Amino acid sequence: MANGLISSVKEKELRKARGITTHRKESALSERGASAAKTLAAIKALGFTHVLMLPDGESRLLYQAIGDDPDIHLITPCREGESIAIAAGLWTGGRKPLIVIQNTGLMEAGDALRGCGMGPKVPLRLVVGWRGYGSAQAGRMPIDSAYTYTEPLLSAWGILYWRIMGDEDLPMLERMDRTAAETSLPAAVVTGYAFRP
Amino acid sequence: MTMTTTLQWPLVSQNELDFDFLAFGMGHAGDFGLGLALARPERKTIVLKGDGGLLMCLGSLVTMGRYAPGNLLVLLMENRSYEMVGAQPLPPRADFTALARAAGFEGGGATGKGKVERITTLEAFEKALPRLLTEEGPHFAVVPITNKDPLPPVSHTDHAGRIRKLRKGLGLE
Repeated sequence: MANGLISSVKEKELRKARGITTHRKESALSERGASAAKTLAAIKALGFTHVLMLPDGESRLLYQAIGDDPDIHLITPCREGESIAIAAGLWTGGRKPLIVIQNTGLMEAGDALRGCGMGPKVPLRLVVGWRGYGSAQAGRMPIDSAYTYTEPLLSAWGILYWRIMGDEDLPMLERMDRTAAETSLPAAVVTGYAFRP
Repeated sequence: MTMTTTLQWPLVSQNELDFDFLAFGMGHAGDFGLGLALARPERKTIVLKGDGGLLMCLGSLVTMGRYAPGNLLVLLMENRSYEMVGAQPLPPRADFTALARAAGFEGGGATGKGKVERITTLEAFEKALPRLLTEEGPHFAVVPITNKDPLPPVSHTDHAGRIRKLRKGLGLE
């Protein structure tokens, strides 16, 4: 049992109430989490000029890889709402920014995303770290509600998104990028696990 | 430009490169301007931002203190109130010039030449403006203002159209 203080029945009810479900079966061949180096290569192949990113525990290797790359401008703001607005300004000026953001930051940035993304139809591209997903898949209770609200929040905002759980899902970046361009609206991928080297 | 400025600016200018930020995310006009300035280094980007809006996103001062390029000019319209929604007073002791300096704007930005100043009279502003528009920055200028005229009504709705008008003005659409 994930929590020794609650019965399996109670845990089942809690998991249901908190939206913890088992998602599609992942490839047994893949390692959990995408490679930071391969993700960076995919980002560069798509022509992104700037990455707006605050480091977090799951994305720190990607943060390091981007920071070490001479071709990508890494901007580290103080809060995620800044990332959204700076990215909107970069896009308006003709650049192609990518926003890497943890789900908690996504929630903080809601007004900026509404105001600088959906409202003015700015095709923002987001990589959203899904904190809590790995724990949930391992049958452990999430430490907070960030896991639970991530997908419902993206859906409520009408943001199309795809999941990246390993290297085999990296082509979803191209799909997200293309969708943002075609719809002129924000689009996202969510990453379920910490980035690997 | 943001909030109250967006209502008054159209009375004096209708340039296609003007861009109001009224409904584009509270407190983030400076961030948007930072992105625009980074994207278009050959142009001057001027942000007309309110002091109440700055309080909503104070961390952006630190971000600008690190990344703001030399072509960014931030004019902080200091009326010490949330004028547009009833002129409720701001926290009385906040010192925006000191905040910008403490955030690393002075001597900072991408150029290491960031300048922070306070311009207290119209005559001083008229004298400083040519320098602010030509000298390498980034610049952060606090401009105390008062307004006794009633504000024009809010009439902006076409957010997507306005941002595309700006892109068109920049030769992108």
